[in-house]
Amino acid sequence: MPPSGLPTVVLFEAEALASIDSLYRTALRLTRDPADAEDLVQDTYLKAFRAADRFEPGTNLRAWLFTILHSTARNRARDRARDAVTIDSDAVERAADGDGAVLSGSQGETPESRLLRETLDPELQAAVDALPAVFRQAVWLRDVEEFSYGEIAEMLDVPVGTVMSRISRGRRLLFEKLTVRNAALSGTT
Amino acid sequence: MADCRKLDPLVTPYVDGELDARERADVDSHLRVCPPCHSRVTAEQAVRDLLHARKHALELECASAALRAKCAGHKGIVRANKGYDPFSRVRALALAAALVLVVGGAFLYEATDRSSRVMAAELVADHVKCFAANRVLGTTTQSAGLVEQSLASSFGWHVRLPPSPQEIGLELIGARPCLYGEGRMAHLMYRHNGQPVSVFMLPNASRQEALVSVLGHECAIWSEGDRTFVVVARERREDMAHVASFVRASLR
Repeated sequence: MPPSGLPTVVLFEAEALASIDSLYRTALRLTRDPADAEDLVQDTYLKAFRAADRFEPGTNLRAWLFTILHSTARNRARDRARDAVTIDSDAVERAADGDGAVLSGSQGETPESRLLRETLDPELQAAVDALPAVFRQAVWLRDVEEFSYGEIAEMLDVPVGTVMSRISRGRRLLFEKLTVRNAALSGTT
Repeated sequence: MADCRKLDPLVTPYVDGELDARERADVDSHLRVCPPCHSRVTAEQAVRDLLHARKHALELECASAALRAKCAGHKGIVRANKGYDPFSRVRALALAAALVLVVGGAFLYEATDRSSRVMAAELVADHVKCFAANRVLGTTTQSAGLVEQSLASSFGWHVRLPPSPQEIGLELIGARPCLYGEGRMAHLMYRHNGQPVSVFMLPNASRQEALVSVLGHECAIWSEGDRTFVVVARERREDMAHVASFVRASLR
């Protein structure tokens, strides 16, 4: 029995359920639909509790849950894609490569300070949600959920190099979206 | 480092502070002579810093109470998995004799909108969460008088705790506000033979008396005046009835 006096199973359940808010937010970023996000989270917990005996105590339970969440989302997307147009994520990434030019900031003010000053919270949320899925997932998991590259690679089932590449491109796309929008709003070009 | 292509895989770990000193120095020396790469790094850093600075605003969306209850409802699957839980049913029942007494100061359940079973399921989830939180935060042992004073000052709720909890093996271990109900719940924590049970109090609410089995727990529900009490424990039904009867008779 753990030092707390609670059975291991109760602690496992409690710790797993403590991640429900961040799982839901991440599911929202994946599905962009509250009902679909709720289904996804529910399915994730169902699978996690069924596979509880395969969880290795002492490892990161939260990362394990996120891996199940993304795996479940991928399977759902695969099922839906049978009757839909297949999206080539590599093509999306290559296309994003063409947008590599970075706007230069105005004299005397850093891009960081301009973004912080000019970007409102809802605009930031909207810009994140508008990113192509592969970049949105990578940036969200790294910069909001603060997982390591290795953990994200396992969740997304891609190499670590791809994770870093997606984070980099996602951040640059966000920068472009936000700076272009802010420039338009302020009447500058 | 003269080649921008060699810099490419290092940009993100550079921005995230994950390069070692030598690699970082290499990147720094390249950035000093390469405005395009410098611009790229600056942009990525700006977005990273913006997301970190606004993280709280991106974390406002929370799972609904209904989703929490549904997900908590899957917990029985873990317990049914004998390969996971090292405890036999008999031993688990012995462990379930624990008692944490939780008193709700201003819990906002609406009796007209939620069934007793749904309410009980949410309180079971909260019971487990709060006990786990208590394990992390630590709760000091307090006297009944101190707890009563704390309830009166924090919640404006004047209550008399059971004066002789030891009669049925209860030990008061403390009180603290509960994160549930926007912090307007108070927890009075007891142990019963070293193990937890929970009692919640819902002010301004009235419900029919009931003993509900949900999520592997027994929940005893009753109302007195404008308060509803819910006792939660992983107990056998008859044991739960005994504990609830004692609390009901002695908590005022």
